[in-house]
Amino acid sequence: MNKEIAEQIKGMLVERLRIPADELEYDSELFGEDIGLDSIDSIEIIVGIENLFGVDLSGSGATKEDFRSIETLTAFVEAHKED
Amino acid sequence: MLNEKRCVITGLGLVCAIGDNTDECFEAALNGRSGIADATSFDTTDCYSHKGAEVKLSDEELAGGKYDRTTALGIKAAGEAIRDAGIDMDSEDAAGVGVLLGSCIAGAACVDRYYNEKAAGRKGDVNDLKAITASVIAGNVADYYNAGGITANIVNACAAGTLSIALAIDLIRGGKGEIFLAGGCDSFSSLAYAGFHALRALAPSDCSPFNHSDGITLGEGAGVLVVESYEHAVKRGAKIYCDVLGSGVSSDAYHITAPRPDGEGQMSVINRAIKNSGLDFTDIGYVNAHGTGTAKNDESEFLSLKTLFENNKDLYVSSTKSMTGHCLGAAGAIEAVLTVKALKEGKLPPTTGFSEDDLKVLEEKSGDINFIANKPVEKEINYAMSNSFAFGGNNASIVFAKEPKALNLACPKQSLYVTGIGTVSGEYDGDSGDYKAKLDTDTFKAYGVKSAFLRKLDRLSQLQILSGIRALEDAGITVTEENEGIIGICIGTDDGPMTEIANFQKGIIKDGIDKGSAFAFPNTVYNAAGGYLSIATGIKGYNVTIANGFQSGLQSVCAAAGAIMFGYENIMLASGTDECTDIDDEIYDDLGLRGEGKMTLGEGSVTCVIEKDSSAAERGAKRYAKIAGFSSARDTSGDRSDNTRMSEKALTEAIMNVLEEGGMKPSDISRIYGFGNGIESIDNFEKDVYKKIFGDDIEIVLVKKDYGEARAASSSLQFAMLAKDIYEGEFENGIAVSFGSSALYTAVLLTKA
Repeated sequence: MNKEIAEQIKGMLVERLRIPADELEYDSELFGEDIGLDSIDSIEIIVGIENLFGVDLSGSGATKEDFRSIETLTAFVEAHKED
Repeated sequence: MLNEKRCVITGLGLVCAIGDNTDECFEAALNGRSGIADATSFDTTDCYSHKGAEVKLSDEELAGGKYDRTTALGIKAAGEAIRDAGIDMDSEDAAGVGVLLGSCIAGAACVDRYYNEKAAGRKGDVNDLKAITASVIAGNVADYYNAGGITANIVNACAAGTLSIALAIDLIRGGKGEIFLAGGCDSFSSLAYAGFHALRALAPSDCSPFNHSDGITLGEGAGVLVVESYEHAVKRGAKIYCDVLGSGVSSDAYHITAPRPDGEGQMSVINRAIKNSGLDFTDIGYVNAHGTGTAKNDESEFLSLKTLFENNKDLYVSSTKSMTGHCLGAAGAIEAVLTVKALKEGKLPPTTGFSEDDLKVLEEKSGDINFIANKPVEKEINYAMSNSFAFGGNNASIVFAKEPKALNLACPKQSLYVTGIGTVSGEYDGDSGDYKAKLDTDTFKAYGVKSAFLRKLDRLSQLQILSGIRALEDAGITVTEENEGIIGICIGTDDGPMTEIANFQKGIIKDGIDKGSAFAFPNTVYNAAGGYLSIATGIKGYNVTIANGFQSGLQSVCAAAGAIMFGYENIMLASGTDECTDIDDEIYDDLGLRGEGKMTLGEGSVTCVIEKDSSAAERGAKRYAKIAGFSSARDTSGDRSDNTRMSEKALTEAIMNVLEEGGMKPSDISRIYGFGNGIESIDNFEKDVYKKIFGDDIEIVLVKKDYGEARAASSSLQFAMLAKDIYEGEFENGIAVSFGSSALYTAVLLTKA
């Protein structure tokens, strides 16, 4: 996992979604019991990722599974980022 | 037997994208002429949608250019309603005319201008700053027309326009006024556009309610109805359009933006309105639906209507938003005006935009409901309903009738008591020079509030849910399936979620209208705090938020008392809440109101549980004090162009009214909990008035000395401390008093339980 990307995503989640940083691990289940995100939060994540990396999650066919955790989001960004 | 206070509609005013007055709008609606076009108020190039239903008239054409666009739209519609009702505003009649206006985004156009100026490194215009809060709208409209009755701004987002009419009939039936201009107004704004864009809730093209349901198209406008007691209307020889029967107000306790998919909240509110009106579901001939055009709304609304009106084979339904756009806080009022016209003329407007193929799908979807598509229907009906469902899970419904009807309002003549108090107050913070509240996650965790929920809440909402939960705890109330529907919420606020509003606007100024925060937008509506309180506690009854200056915390007690008096609820939470952040500091600094010899800002939230006698007796509740009288009063003498003016006459009137209601003399009162906030001219004015009424020895308690000017939270705190001190046996009778803009004063008399 690309730690740099993961850290940027974590920072984005903390800032945009006001998730307490100490409750957020790379493998925390974002939409499950751990963090409890909902559909509005997923829109915010899409915008946040696009702003940070220029990766369009909705346009590049990201699935529910890709939104599962910081780890899965990081993998998706790595795979779709154009350098 | 008819209810002794029959309420009628005697005047209509309307301005929106399909016309500049009621007749133009109604004719356009019947002919299916949509007002939706490419938006011109601001640049939408980077957005995926470019549509809007904007009013062609400029601010100058609406109201002379001196007002924020939301207020200007309200002034325009109110003027038509006054003329239509034939009220002479230069005569004594004007003194009794109250103004109740709903708004969702308030002075958003001024927020846009002000923060754009600031972002460019310039000084913002103080006149823009004065107009950004919803608290000044109704007062400014009232002042414009010399209307001297009481005012309120109902800020329950997209249900606000319907709620203001509901409040008008309650005030008339409760004996607090005879005639009101009731409605709603909202302008087109980058804030709302960016917000709904961020939520992906804007339709890519013209909105298509109950059809393609791929989102809303925002609009702007205002609707104002003259709501009057029948006796008052007859006495002045007014023409009568129709009766307004009962209303329903409820909350979903589900989600801050989405309606319950099972339609429970919508069905509950329609049920309430039908029941209060003394009707059956088969009586209703036409429903002007909320029909926004989002998939979530349209699906749950179809389900609600089909379920409730199952046995009504003669029901006609349409959503006029396909032509007017969604005008947010004005929507319910605009639709109420169109509904009254439809009832009066026997012509029902359609929902537009259906192709031949769409019509086939619609027929399957709508079942037994006669859904009016594309073309109007000519049909004589006796009863019509207008529904609004809003962010925060707020629902409101109202019923109009051709003929009077015996209502089914409980109106129990029961004493009301304060049975619980929850407070969150600030402590002095040397760094900011404000009184700040401590809000840590452990405090919320102790009350079982999960961090996944808490993180969504802005500061105002956090303050609100904490005081609300504490009040329920203090009152010994556990919300259960049995009582969730008979407990309601009434929140007063001066500045609402100004921090969220300002930060959202700053964000889109920096990043673009297409880059608004979907996470932050739901918190920019004034009723988010009330919505979160409903979600956090499970309360599903009445839910209203009033933004009306510093006195809002006391006005919430008055509105809560009204909701119980009409049998809507047994128990009401009445709150006053305002936050204090860097944004508030900046605003009050720029207004020149903060600092040495001026206000010291505070923040907090105070919630009091107001309960009727029988409910308190059944629970064996602790009774802090009894509400012996409540009253608001205004005065239009003096310079009406100055909405910060003081009025000895109105302050005296509010106090004398509560004394009369409580059957007391000034000498019976031991203590006044006043509104003095350190500004010498205000403090001296207040002291002088009390001395004239109560004599030189009257004891005056000023809570703001210890907690700062926490605005609505302060007026609630005055009330709560009065109740506590009576409970502790310090004295038997006391009055809490506060003020709002445009010379509005509210007083509440408490006495030993």
